[in-house]
Formats: sequence, C-alpha cells, structure tokens
Amino acid sequence: MLPLLCKRSKKIPGLLSVLVLLCFSQQAWAAGPPAPSVFNNPLAVTFIVLMVLLLIIIAILASLLLGAADLKLKKEKKKNPVIPATVVSMLFFLLLNSTSLFAQAGDAAAQTTSATIAGMSASAFYIMVTVIFLELLIIIALLINIRFLLKVEKEKNVVLIAETVEVTEAVKRTRLSWWDKFNKLRPISQEGDLDLGHDYDGIRELDNRLPPWWLYGFYVCIVFAFIYMWRFHVSHTAPSSLEEFETSIAKADLQIKEYLEMKGDNVDENTVTLLTDAADLDAGKAIFTNPANCVTCHGGDASGIVNDNPGIGPNLTDDYWLYGGAIKDLFKTIKYGTNKGMRSWKDDLSAKQIAQVASYIKSLHGTKPAKVKEPQGELYKEEATTPAADSLKTMNDSIKTKELLGKLGAAKAMN
Amino acid sequence: MQVEKFYYDNRIVKAFGYATVIFGIVGMLAGLWAAIQIYYPAISLNLAPVTFGRLRPLHTNAIIFAFVGNASFAGIYYSLQRLCKTRLFSDKLSWIHFWGWQLIIVGAAITLPLGLTNGAEYAELIWPIDIAIALVWIIFGINLFGTIVKRREKHLYVAIWFYIATWVTVALLHIVRSVEIPYSLTGSYSWYAGVQDALVQWWYGHNAVAFFLTTPVLGLMYYFLPKAANRPIYSYRLSIIHFWALIFIYIWAGPHHLLYTALPDWAQSLGVVFSIMLIAPSWGGMLNGLFTLRGAWDKVREDPVLKFMVVAITCYGMATFEGPMLSLKNVNAISHFTDWTIAHVHIGGLGWNGFMAFAILYYMIPKMWDTALYSKKLATNHFWLGTIGIVVYAVPMYWAGFEQSIMWKSFTPEGQLKFQFLETVTNIKPLYLLRSIGGALYLAGAFIMVYNLYKTMAKGKFIANEAAEAPPLVKEIKHKKEYWHRILERKPMTMLVLSLVLVAIGGLIEIIPTFLVKSNIPTIASVQPYSPLELQGRDIYVREGCYTCHSQMIRPFRDEVKRYGEYSKAGEFVYDHPFQWGSKRTGPDLAREGGKQTDSWHYNHLYDPTSMSPGSLMPRYIWLLDDALDTASTPAKIRAMRTLGVPYPEGYDKIANRDLVQQADSIAANLKKDKIETPPNAEIVALIAYLQRLGTDIKAEPKQTVAERK
Repeated sequence: MLPLLCKRSKKIPGLLSVLVLLCFSQQAWAAGPPAPSVFNNPLAVTFIVLMVLLLIIIAILASLLLGAADLKLKKEKKKNPVIPATVVSMLFFLLLNSTSLFAQAGDAAAQTTSATIAGMSASAFYIMVTVIFLELLIIIALLINIRFLLKVEKEKNVVLIAETVEVTEAVKRTRLSWWDKFNKLRPISQEGDLDLGHDYDGIRELDNRLPPWWLYGFYVCIVFAFIYMWRFHVSHTAPSSLEEFETSIAKADLQIKEYLEMKGDNVDENTVTLLTDAADLDAGKAIFTNPANCVTCHGGDASGIVNDNPGIGPNLTDDYWLYGGAIKDLFKTIKYGTNKGMRSWKDDLSAKQIAQVASYIKSLHGTKPAKVKEPQGELYKEEATTPAADSLKTMNDSIKTKELLGKLGAAKAMN
Repeated sequence: MQVEKFYYDNRIVKAFGYATVIFGIVGMLAGLWAAIQIYYPAISLNLAPVTFGRLRPLHTNAIIFAFVGNASFAGIYYSLQRLCKTRLFSDKLSWIHFWGWQLIIVGAAITLPLGLTNGAEYAELIWPIDIAIALVWIIFGINLFGTIVKRREKHLYVAIWFYIATWVTVALLHIVRSVEIPYSLTGSYSWYAGVQDALVQWWYGHNAVAFFLTTPVLGLMYYFLPKAANRPIYSYRLSIIHFWALIFIYIWAGPHHLLYTALPDWAQSLGVVFSIMLIAPSWGGMLNGLFTLRGAWDKVREDPVLKFMVVAITCYGMATFEGPMLSLKNVNAISHFTDWTIAHVHIGGLGWNGFMAFAILYYMIPKMWDTALYSKKLATNHFWLGTIGIVVYAVPMYWAGFEQSIMWKSFTPEGQLKFQFLETVTNIKPLYLLRSIGGALYLAGAFIMVYNLYKTMAKGKFIANEAAEAPPLVKEIKHKKEYWHRILERKPMTMLVLSLVLVAIGGLIEIIPTFLVKSNIPTIASVQPYSPLELQGRDIYVREGCYTCHSQMIRPFRDEVKRYGEYSKAGEFVYDHPFQWGSKRTGPDLAREGGKQTDSWHYNHLYDPTSMSPGSLMPRYIWLLDDALDTASTPAKIRAMRTLGVPYPEGYDKIANRDLVQQADSIAANLKKDKIETPPNAEIVALIAYLQRLGTDIKAEPKQTVAERK
C-alpha cells in the first residue's frame, strides 16, 4: 500500500488535499447541525463556529503541508527517494487514521440516548466536544509534520552552506525552552559574558537579569499593600475585625430565627412542658450520660455519687431540690446554671435538648439508686395535675408551693 | 605581588560542629517526647520537669539556639575565614564565644525543666541567662567584625552581608525583648504589659525566625551551595535586591501573629501587607539558590550535600509562600491557634534549617578531615528518611489543623456549637500519633548521620590549622566606573549601620505608637490589678507553661464568643506582665475561665484532668497539691509590679501576704464544702485563685479594689 500511496501522492497531491478536505468537511457537517433547536443554544452556536474555524485552519495547514511535501519530494527524487516517501506516507497514515477516528466518534454518538447538557442533548454535546478535540489533534499533527519538514529543510541548508555539525549543536544549545524564557535565563554557553569577575574563595558571580515574573510579582505585592491599607484604613471599604464580627452575628441570628420558626423548636423556661415520649427520654438520657455532661458531677445514675464518692452535684432522684423540682425550674437551672457550681448549658444544648434532659431527670424520680448522696435543698412535691394551658398560673403555684415548703423546711431545721 | 601565608582555624568549627550534632539530637528527642505526650500524657511519667508545658520550651530553645545556632556559628566561622582570606580575628574570643554559648545552653537545659521561665515564646530564658546571651553575642560581634576588618579580600561577599544583618538585628531584638524587672535571682517580670508586651513579643518572635533561622542560613547557602555545586552565583543583582528588601520588610511582619486580637487594627494591617510584600524578597533567595544549580543538576543526583540543599531551599520557598498566605486575615482565621501553624514552622524547621545544617556538616567535615565522606549511600538514606519524615510530619498536622478549626466553627442549625472543645481534640489524636512517627523517622536519619560522620572522622585526619595564602589587601586603588553597591561592599561599618537603620524603621513605627497613643489601648475602669494570691497563681501558670496549650485571647468570632464568652479587649490586659495570650490551643481558651467552673472542679481537674473531662489530653499536676506556695517572694513581686506602674498602694508589699492568706483560706474553706481537704498554702490554691479571676473583671459589677480590700 505504501508504494501506491507514494505514487499517488507524487502524481496528484492537489487532488488528495481536496479529498482530505472534503472528507473532513463532510464528517464535520454530519456532526454540525444535529437538530434545528440547537441553533437557539448559544453554547451550541459557539461550538459550531469553533468547529468551522478549526476546519478552515486544518484546510490551510493541510494544503501547506502537502505543498511542502510535494516540493520536498521533487528535490529529494534526485538523491534519495526513500526518506520523503516514508515521511509523506506517515503523514497520510496519520491523517487517514484521524478521519477514521472521527467516523467512529460519530457512530458512538448516534447510539447515545438523550439527556441534556447545557441546554442541548447529551449526544449532541459530546459529538461537538469530540469533534473539536479531534480537530485540535489533527491541527497538532499537521503542525508537527510541517515543522518536521521545515526542519529537514533547514538542516539541509546548513549542510549546503557547508557549515560543520558543531554549528547545529550550538544552535541546539542556544535554543531556549519556555522555562528559560519565562525566567529570562540566558543559555549556559553564554555564561562567560555574564561573569562579573568576582572571586570569593572560588565563588564567581553572574550578572543575570531578575526573572521578570519575580520582579513584577514584587511590584504587584507592593501595589496590593497600598490598596489594602487604603481600603482598611482610609476609605474604610473593607470591614474591621469588629464590623466583621457584628455582621456574622447578625447573619447567624437571622438564620437561627428562620430555622427555629420553621421547625417550631423555640421552647423556653416559661413554655416548657414535661416530655413523656420514649424518644425524647432516650435523647435526654443520651445527653445526660455523655461523659462530658451531667454525669461528671451527678453520677451515672443521677445519685450524686461519682466514682463511689459524693460528687459535686446533688442527688437528682430524691425529693429534695436546691433550685426547684418543677420541669420549668429544671429547665431554667440547666439553661442558665447557678452561681453555686451548676454551669450554664445554653451554649452547648439546644432548647429542645434541655427540655429532653430535664424530662429525663424527672423520669428518674424515685428510682432509688443503691448509694445516694445526702438530700440537699428543699422538699418538693409534684403537683397532682399541672394545667399546662396557663403557664403563668403554674409558675405562681410553684412559687407558692416553694414558699410553703420553705417554711416547712425551716421549721424542720429548727426542730 | 608577595603572597602571605596564613592558617584557617578549623578547631573552632569542629567544636561548633560537635555541639550542633549533640544538641540537635537532644532537641529532636525533646520534640519527639513532647509530641508523644500530646496523645499519651502519661509518658511524662508525672514528672514536673518534663511535662509538656516545660518540655516544649526546652524543645524550641534547643532547636533554635542550640541546634541551628551552633550550626550557624560553625558555618559562619568556616566560611567567614575563607571569604575574608584570613584567620578569625581572635582565637581567644572564638573560644569564649563557644564555651559561653554552650554554658547558656546548659543553663537553659537546667532552668527550663525547673520551670524557671519568662513565659514568652522563644524568650523563655531567665534574666541572668539573657544577660549572658547579650555578652556572648557581643563577643561574637567583635570576632565577626574583627575578622572582617583584617580581611585580605577587598569586597564583602553576599554571605557576609547576611552575617552582618543577622548580628545587628538579633542584638537589637534580644535587648528590646529582654527588658525586664527582676524580683529575684531567677525571676522577673516583662517591662511591657498586655497588648504592648504582645507586640514586642511577636516583633521579637517573628524576627527570631527571620534573623536567627533565616538570614544566617541564607548566608550559609550563599557560601556552601556554590562551593558544593561548583557553579557561579546566578545573579549578583538579585542578591543585592533581595538582601536589602528582605531585611527591611521582614521586621514589619510580626503583628501577623496577632490578627483578630486586641492589638490595634492598624498594626495588624501593617503585619498583613508587609508579609505579602515579603514573598518576593524571600523567593529571591530561593531563586538565587536553585538557579545557581543550573547546569549542575546531574551533580544533585550524586551529591548528598546538594540533595539536602535542594530540599532545604524548596522548603524555604514553600514556607515563605505559605507564611504570607497565613497572614491574610481570612486564612489566619482558620489556621491560627491550630496545628496548621505547627506544620508550617516544621516545614521551615525540619526542611530549611535542619537540612541546611545537615548539608553543611556533610560538606565541612570531610573537608576538615581531608578525606571523603565515609558513605554516600548512608547519607542518601539519611536524606530519604528525613524527607519522608518531613512529609509524614507535616501532612497530618495540616490535616489536624484544618479539621479542628472547621470543627470549632461548626454550628447546629439551632445555633449551638456542634462540638465541645474536647471532642475537637480527641478527634485529631490519630494525627498526633502519625506526626510523632514522622518526627521519629527524621530523628532516625539524624542518628545515621552521626554514625556516618563519626566513620568519616575516623578515616580522615583532622587539620586543625589549614594552610592558605593570599596577597595582602592593597589600600586605595582608584575604582572607576563600578556598580554603586561595590562601594558599600568595601565598607563593613557602613553596612552595619545601614542594616541597623533599615531594621529599626519597621520596629519603631509599629512599637512607638502602640506605647504612646492612648487610644490604642482603651482603659477599662473595672479592670484591677491581681490580688497577691492571684499574682502568685499567675506565676505558677507561667512556670508550668500553660500558655503552650491554652490561649487567653478570645477573638471576635461567632464561635469563640459563643464558646468562651465576650471577645477580649485591649484594656483587660494592662496589668499582665508578661501577656499570656498564647499561640496554640491544644486546650480551650482561658481568657474568661473565671467563674465558669467551681473551685472543686479545678482542684479535681488539676489533680486528674480525665476525672472531670474524660479523654482529656492534659497532663496531671499532682505536685501542685502538695508543694507549698513560696509566700516569701510576695513582697518583692509586689514591689516589682509597682515599679512597672501597677497601682498597688504604697507600702502594700508589706501587708500583701495578709491578703494572700485570707483569700487562700476562703478558697480552702470553699473546697472543704465539697469534701476536699487542702492546706491553704498549697500551690494549687493560688492557681485556682488566678483561674477564677481570669476575664471576670469586665463581667457584671466592678470588683473590690486592692485598696478597698485592705
């Protein structure tokens, strides 16, 4: 096949180029306008324009390459016909290969089912992306081939001028990579020009320029500094630490309010009621027995005994309460703490959680753990029925009860 | 021209080299031990001298001043002689310098475990040692400049510029930071209080990193890198620009350690912008190092010295980019007080300083023993162990820092903090474990180095006095048409003065207004001096190094205000000599600890933290329960505080102990109510008094003044 290709290419390069072009354009066209609706999609239109543009570039490059190859073939014919033949055949192989890939992509795309991406069907999207990608690949392939041909040409010229091989090597050494250009590095071979003639214990110094990105980066940082100071301390368009703080608190408060309103979890010490649901009591137990919470001072069974010694907190299972034994009193004690050891939990527990743990504690009443701390506080008697509807009345009642019991306690103490 | 023959002094280099190795190992061991204590507190064996709070300062001081310090001195004395083509100015001064410095280190190694400390990070050493440091530093300066003056090389090489800037700036930093009022032979109070002390501290602390860990080591890089690679320095003009820019800008950046604190906003902003501007000058050093290796990268594959240097310089580049990023307020809000900072400093410490120190040892020792390195293979193994060690150290710490910070800031939708402080610590325990493995790998590498260097010395023969020759310096040649900076390079004293002026500018502009302008620290009427017992308790807090894990600075963030209480105000710290804001929270902030827990809670917690907070990583402070408080020191302490302007009434020092006993008795009585029997003169009572006072002054009603209590 190779000789055949070579022959053909020798004879009719122009025709081939047209063929190749056609081949591409056909395929592209097939993929290009899939459905009329696509033209309403800005992304699709952009893709199509891009595809057409890339196609034009491919056409130009292809003709350029074929022209160059043709020229070269003619020149080479006299000396060594083998090398150019392979070059060109390789080229065609590459191109043909690309077109076949192209066709496959089209086939695959036809099978995909429709889902939308960026407003067009998934298959259309992937086809277009694939087409553009392949077009880019082809352009790269073409460029590499053109470069290769031109390079061969250049080296030929060098030979023609009868320069030595060393020269080519020198050219190679002076060629700068993108890295060298980025850093403004001079070739090492030219180092001699940069030597400042300093010699410190054998250490020489070069006079290389500053890497441009470094220098401009430095300038940018300095400009940043001025803008920063201006914004924070002259124009005050940037928030100070405290302004930032206030904004964040206001924002958070709003969010919490919205959330609680949505959830309906906004009980406080005036509206709390005893929860009896097993789920609530389990939740309360989990909070209570968390090693970092209540058990530290009140003990695992709420007996006030921690590790066989009296804990810091009182027994919570008996009838005596330091700060009142009603659910509202418990809620309040847990929420705000007291000034005698009980800490405030309102920053650690939500209102609902406090209600749960308070209810759980109430549920422990009368459990009579094996070992308990001596009673602390005043005797508290649960009221028979608490009219939940009127919270104010309940509060008054409980205060009255407390007073009464207080007197009783005082009398008891006197006895 | 007649050449003169002279001898380089290798013995002093050898001595500093030995010290580097010994104290490097000691410092790293201390670090490893401290790292293990964080997740396994019992390994402190409940010994007071080696609990984390005392061990951590020992680790940092040993690494900074003993390991890197000695390595710098070794490298400076080695390179200075060769760059000046002369022997060191005075052998006698060299040896005074050497032994003086080692005595200081030994002094530190004794005093720090004993709890004798100033309570300021990297400036912990007590006042007699501070004076010794100043004296030895002056000896070093005389030797340095004496050598420069009698040089046979007309111009000063860039390495020496860095040495000069190092000397003058460290002198300035050390003197300003160490202004303190002694109240006993071993104890003193910082001259500055609260916000001002914080500013001076981080101006010092940041620039200790800059001028003790960076500039001398950059100087070493400028000598040893081109020597080892046998390549010319990439760019002379880059050297000039980055040197002057670096020393000028570096000094301003200290306040970035105090973002969102009670430090005035304008000072914080200066810290931010100068940190950002510092990227380029820092990277100038990295570029000059790495580009010098152009054309020598094949050697890097072979030569362990260059391997170490390449990673060191890369770490330097990473750390000096990360630093400015951490100085941006929005990043700092996440990273500060977490292990992120720890990761950051160890990229610098293990990577830049450690690897540079190893590199110069691997370079100098074969040279001075006139032989080749015993085993390149072992050195390469050391290199890989060290590199992997750095990665295994840093990655878990970055992770831990980020994760903990995010947990701190997590809220439930109800607006409650999602995690208790303790949960955020126990959660990262596995990462602490990993970190210590990284550190152990690094240390293992160092042991390999010790063996390798020992074998190298054994097979070579030490040249105590290395012969060299050079023509004498000819005075007064006409210099025409030269680059302006060359003139400066002939004038070491001008360079010294210029460096001093440049570094003084930044410090003065930040420090003076903070001290003089009243509006910077608004006074709060209800803030009163500590009672004598609280003052004694505070000194125990400082002694035990509580600041290494607990901050006393609530930043104005939603989560911190929720967790700890109202954010800290500048006026609250006016009687804090020294300030105790801390820089890391392995435990919670204590700025408003007062009144949060009962006396008995604190008592039990100090005796065994896990009894009150199961899973706590805090060590036990058993000795506080038995040791009696040294009340004899009270009058002297009160007098010192009065000298510093703390408004105790005239003659209060004589009756202070009466108040002290009274307060102690009331706390003991309070404890007794909770069935805790304690002698009122136990140290723990004083510490509880201090903890219960913290942050309470601005809460509720104004407290009784000392005068009223009388």
